[in-house]
Amino acid sequence: MSEDRKCLIEARDLTVGYGDRVVLERVNFKVYRGEVFAILGASGSGKSTLLKHLIGLHQPVSGDVLISGASLVNAEGDERLAILRKFGVLYQGGALFGSLSTVENVRLPLDEFTELPENAKDLIALSKLRLVGLESAATKLPADLSGGMQKRAGIARAIVMDPCVLFLDEPSAGLDPITSAGLDALIGELAKGLGITFVMVTHELASIFSVADRVVVLDPKARGIVAEGAPAWLRENAEQLWVRQFLNRKVA
Amino acid sequence: MPANDSIPLALQWELTPGSGGVTKLSLRGELDSASTPTAWRELEKAFAGTKVTSLEIDASGLTACDSAGLSLLYFLSTGGMTPGATARMTGLGPELEHLFRSFSNEDFLALQDHEPACSSIVDDVGTATWNWLQDLREQIEFIGEVSMGIVTSIFIPRRMRWKEVIRVFEIAGVNALPIVSLLTFLVGMVIAFEAAQPLAQLGAQVFVANLLGLTMTRELGPVMAAIMLAGRSGSAFAAELGTMKVNEELNALQTMGLSPIQFLVVQRVVAGVLLAPVLTVFAMYAGLLGGIPVLLGLGFPLRMVLYQVQSGLHFSDLAEGLAKSIVFGGVVASVSCLRGLQTGEGPRAVGESTTRSVVSSILLIILSDAVFAAITYVLRK
Repeated sequence: MSEDRKCLIEARDLTVGYGDRVVLERVNFKVYRGEVFAILGASGSGKSTLLKHLIGLHQPVSGDVLISGASLVNAEGDERLAILRKFGVLYQGGALFGSLSTVENVRLPLDEFTELPENAKDLIALSKLRLVGLESAATKLPADLSGGMQKRAGIARAIVMDPCVLFLDEPSAGLDPITSAGLDALIGELAKGLGITFVMVTHELASIFSVADRVVVLDPKARGIVAEGAPAWLRENAEQLWVRQFLNRKVA
Repeated sequence: MPANDSIPLALQWELTPGSGGVTKLSLRGELDSASTPTAWRELEKAFAGTKVTSLEIDASGLTACDSAGLSLLYFLSTGGMTPGATARMTGLGPELEHLFRSFSNEDFLALQDHEPACSSIVDDVGTATWNWLQDLREQIEFIGEVSMGIVTSIFIPRRMRWKEVIRVFEIAGVNALPIVSLLTFLVGMVIAFEAAQPLAQLGAQVFVANLLGLTMTRELGPVMAAIMLAGRSGSAFAAELGTMKVNEELNALQTMGLSPIQFLVVQRVVAGVLLAPVLTVFAMYAGLLGGIPVLLGLGFPLRMVLYQVQSGLHFSDLAEGLAKSIVFGGVVASVSCLRGLQTGEGPRAVGESTTRSVVSSILLIILSDAVFAAITYVLRK
């Protein structure tokens, strides 16, 4: 991996856990600008826990998360807010607000953080909905959308403030293969078209091989990263047999 | 030639009017979410009252542009600020073209035209009546099912999960004792204070003790305990069952061949019926204890106060209070469980069913209390 590329996110000796229970110990990795980076692992390996620490929802036991060189762990007040404004996050269920229509959900960050006129907010929200193919569902309530549509609306809301990086927590979970493939294609388009960096937590091998540039594999026994690299390369060359089996089993 | 370049800003723009209403707008610098709101307002002012037939937008001087900036460029290019004028944009970098293409005037106009569906009064009244009748039917069915569940539990005792009854009894009963006692203690104190003055004018201040004994035993003890049961435990029943419904746990029970009413509701109703009289007895005593310090303060000796309370109360008063409490306990537990089972879809549903459980419980408590008052009035005649 070329070190010339600009590092956007760095986990440095990151130890995470809940209370006394350490889930991951001294984890180190870098995410480069413009790439689609996947965090892979079996259930219970700490993927979602790691993601929550990367986006600042939890404080790590030790170590640091650097965003464009600035420490997220130690940042406070406006400095922390400025870092968080670079993020967009898609939660597993889309996390749309049930009382707001789809377009109002997407508009919400613009309403809260900008002083743009109403027309501008509507235009931006609708443009994001068009980007994810939901322009015709703008006035529908989240309850009237399918699971895949809710996730796409979640992506539209996550990108409405033009984030540098988009974190996706299990984007394909609960979706049928066709919808899942559509979502993968959307991620690819947004990464290439808008230059957004993606960090996705998943155990969907099809998604990883379809969109991810690089992947780290977490092992609950080792409590850390056991493999890192391009998915196709890891499938053939990962040091651990179980990683090769894990990556080969479903795509064979 | 309006321009905003008098002071150095992240964004600078210049309007150059030409002949025949042809106007050129040149933008330089950063057009982002920070600079766009100001630029939008200023440009609207600049275009107001200006006759523009053709607008040329030159974006080649922009060093940065985000979605907010693109929304302004799009609004200008579709004639949003210059109605009737033709607009042409040049100089937008290829990297922004993809984003710019995602803007659509068609979507924008469709959203502006969209009006939320508004139903007529006739529809609303019809729907409300239909819902009320449906609710009544569900309540009657529910009472039948719970009664059947209780009867089944009597004949097949293993169906009754006594561990669950004890758990509910502890959470809704034992843990509620302090707050029920405190509230009724204070209510007893308030009644004694409020009654002391008017009765003193009649020279009957000593009868405050009788009044306190009767009201706490017959009326306020059972009602206060039931209202606390509804607010504290009934809402918890509704939320618990509602969450189980949202999480499809009730579906899981049904597909296992288990009745949610037999499995979850009967235990709560039995616990409610058993614990309401216990709470009521505590409420009665706490209310009396609240009034005693006031009476002692008014100069009546403790023996006299206790004698007045004892002489003013009969077993029938206590029986009335306890009978009410049993009914209230059953009503609160049943209606709370029913509201929990009626929980709809989505995150708001649990909150709604919890609110409905408290409102329905309190309404039914007062309604049954009125029925009790009428019955006992006739019986005492």
